Amino acid sequence: MGNLIVRRVTQMLLIMLTVSLLLFAIFDSDQFREKAAVAELGGFGVATLSADDYHEWLEKKGLNEPFLARYGRWLESVLHGDMGQSIEKDIAVSVLLKESLTNTGILAFFVFWIMIPVSLTLGVLAGMNTGSPLDRVISIVAVLTTSIPQIATAVLLTVILALGLGWVPTKSAMADGWSFRGLVLPLLTLLLYDIGYLVRMTRAAMTEVMASQYIRTAVLKGLPYRRVILRHALRNALIVPVTLIFLELNGLLSQVVVVEVFFQYAGFGRMLFDAANFGDLQVLQAATLVAVCVAVGSQLLSDAAYVFLNPRVRFT
Amino acid sequence: MNEHSLLPRLRDQLHSGRMDRREFIRFATLLGVAAGTAYAMAGMSAPAMASSTLPFPAAEPGAKRGGKLRVGEMVARMEDPATYNWNEMANQTRPILEYLTLVGPDNVVRPMLIESWKPSADLKTWTLQVRSGVMWHNGEELTAEHVAWNIRRWSDPALGSSNLGLSTFAALTEYTGDRDSKGRAVRRPLKNGVEVQDSRTVRLNLAKPVLSVAEDCGEFCTLVVHPSFKPPLSHNPIGTGPYTLVELRVGDRCILKRITKTTDGRDFHYWGGDVFLDEIHFHHYEQENQTAALASGSVDAIYELPVEQIELARSIPGAQILSVETAQTLCCRMQVDVKPFNDIRVRRAVVKAADNGAIKKLVFGEHGSVAANFHVAPIHPEYFPLPLQVRDVAGARQLLKEAGYENGIDLNIVVGNNDGPWQQAACEALRDQVKEAGINLAVTVVPATKFWEIWTKVPFGATSWAHRPLGTMALSQAYRTGASWNESHFSDPEFDKALSEAEATIDVPTRKARMQKVETILRDAAVVIQPMWRPVFILASARVHGYKAHPARQMQLTKVWMS
Repeated sequence: MGNLIVRRVTQMLLIMLTVSLLLFAIFDSDQFREKAAVAELGGFGVATLSADDYHEWLEKKGLNEPFLARYGRWLESVLHGDMGQSIEKDIAVSVLLKESLTNTGILAFFVFWIMIPVSLTLGVLAGMNTGSPLDRVISIVAVLTTSIPQIATAVLLTVILALGLGWVPTKSAMADGWSFRGLVLPLLTLLLYDIGYLVRMTRAAMTEVMASQYIRTAVLKGLPYRRVILRHALRNALIVPVTLIFLELNGLLSQVVVVEVFFQYAGFGRMLFDAANFGDLQVLQAATLVAVCVAVGSQLLSDAAYVFLNPRVRFT
Repeated sequence: MNEHSLLPRLRDQLHSGRMDRREFIRFATLLGVAAGTAYAMAGMSAPAMASSTLPFPAAEPGAKRGGKLRVGEMVARMEDPATYNWNEMANQTRPILEYLTLVGPDNVVRPMLIESWKPSADLKTWTLQVRSGVMWHNGEELTAEHVAWNIRRWSDPALGSSNLGLSTFAALTEYTGDRDSKGRAVRRPLKNGVEVQDSRTVRLNLAKPVLSVAEDCGEFCTLVVHPSFKPPLSHNPIGTGPYTLVELRVGDRCILKRITKTTDGRDFHYWGGDVFLDEIHFHHYEQENQTAALASGSVDAIYELPVEQIELARSIPGAQILSVETAQTLCCRMQVDVKPFNDIRVRRAVVKAADNGAIKKLVFGEHGSVAANFHVAPIHPEYFPLPLQVRDVAGARQLLKEAGYENGIDLNIVVGNNDGPWQQAACEALRDQVKEAGINLAVTVVPATKFWEIWTKVPFGATSWAHRPLGTMALSQAYRTGASWNESHFSDPEFDKALSEAEATIDVPTRKARMQKVETILRDAAVVIQPMWRPVFILASARVHGYKAHPARQMQLTKVWMS
């Protein structure tokens, strides 16, 4: 296990280094410099500047420095814990990152808190009685919610719950401070899709386990049904869903881009979207580091859970 | 008061019916007559103003003090007002910093931080009288030095301000004769362009006659900063307006509060009379989300109501939909020196195959008005109505055949949707129309920010042009030979000459007649397909009073109140 952790962390650091270098290289082009200039002065303003004045402006903003010097300086300050300054929002990247991660963290917490019990229960119930009316209902609903793209779900929920019934605000900007009502729409949008997906996976795993010979044996031995399910079936049926739940940690980071941008929730996804649109390099870099960290971290957790649930598997 | 020498002639024209009253008021105010007086000379009752010396409307009876206004718009950075490139930036700043002149929602310009302006007969020397009793937030009084410092700053080519595209500030620079590394002519500020005559008087000595000095001083990048200003403004905003910045979170919120004490601890006195709101909050909502935010009561007013959301807005109980006609437009312009557009027959074919009226109707329905490909709008005082060109598909085919494209031609138009998705809709309508003439037009949509990187470079592009109070203003920025925003590379000495003549003419019928030549040359050169003049809509809840739609989309909130 210790070996595994060391290997994954080394992997993570290497990926971070490569990705950050790549990002820097991509943004070290005349095109990007012009984009930064246009973002600050506007297309009309840039057209007004003479070539020499444009050069001077770049110099003043420190955009004209050689690529490796800039990268080296950035790397050094990151190692010292300073992630730089957002050009667009004019605040420290660490502050921005902390706030947006907190907001996304809150959202993710509620997603998992509701998604795990609901979908595991429904999935197991459906898988236990494959072909029963209960299974049919659960499966159809699950297929339905996963087949609608999140952006469509978002629009639908807004029209019904916010514009129609007026129960919740249309957008989750939460201008007057944090409120759970504001969180409802993004939360539901994420949940509808994720629960459906996890229910289907759990059901499939459970169905497979229920058809296996050791379950039949257990039933034929005359064990109480309850005990067969809880002791014998669940542990094996949960291997796949649990792995998926950990991977979902990572998947959520990309799902929140759509949902947070649509509902204007000030989280990690929206920060990433804004930064990419603006060409806010230091924010993008920091966000990428976080994303890599979450990806590798969730991989590690899922490996660990796998070992725990399936004693046959050993990572050496 | 000394009357301008041209004023009696204007009055004659008014009385003999050669000039209508609206035009008279516009031109009389241009020549330094207070708007109230001009309305009186024209025998009309002026819109109720607080007093003839203030640029604001009179307070409505029953106007209530206090409260906060929550505005939905994209909350933007506040770096340097002279290089602002979004209206939103100026909206957040306008309650803090102010203009020398204020262009009202009625498109009439009134003196704001200056008390009056007076041009010489040749329109090359303008005298600005600085308003007395205007207090900065740091307790100092506004002086002519401060005003001159700002104007000099706006006309410095090294600043990168779009103000240099305005005739007044361009006329305060000269060409050095050198070329920069990209081969463009280098400009520098005129030596004696801005002159401080005494503590209240500034004189502008312009390199050429300019009619629009008062208008230019109220354009959105000309907010007056204190000479101690260092960008970003949000770090130390010192202005003359009644509000100050409390908090700015880009992409989140911008909170403004009434200012009561100067930074040196004295009572702050606002020169502009009563102000009602205690606080103005801008909350970040993307353009397409603003109407929904108002519908659920998250905000009280929004920056702009997109035309495709009008139906949604109508369904909100009590919401006020306000609109105004503008000279904002979309120019589908072709670069006249790039193949295949260097053949005028190709350009004419595209223009002939297009049906401007149909595009306008499709995009804005009954709102807005049809444009006729010469970039002067009916609301401009010098507009000379040319007969509308009729769509002629057979003629277009014939022209293409003559140009050697009997099997049709493939073209590509680039659009950035900087002003909303309606621009793309207009281009797509154009695509469908010209297809009938054998022109296969592909529409390439690029992100708005990306568009401003390439807008002067693409051979065929759809650019949105902002409202300008006078028709000659856009022509001189966009179509004069070598102008920095000349995106079509159009160049015709005869056009330049005719335009210069028109620009130096104050006499309206003569000026109009001169515009006929200007407009005809531009239209016949088939440089742009310009389908429409777009209307502007805004939306506010029933509690908001005094918030008006503005042709240049300036949010003017100083006199707004909430019931």
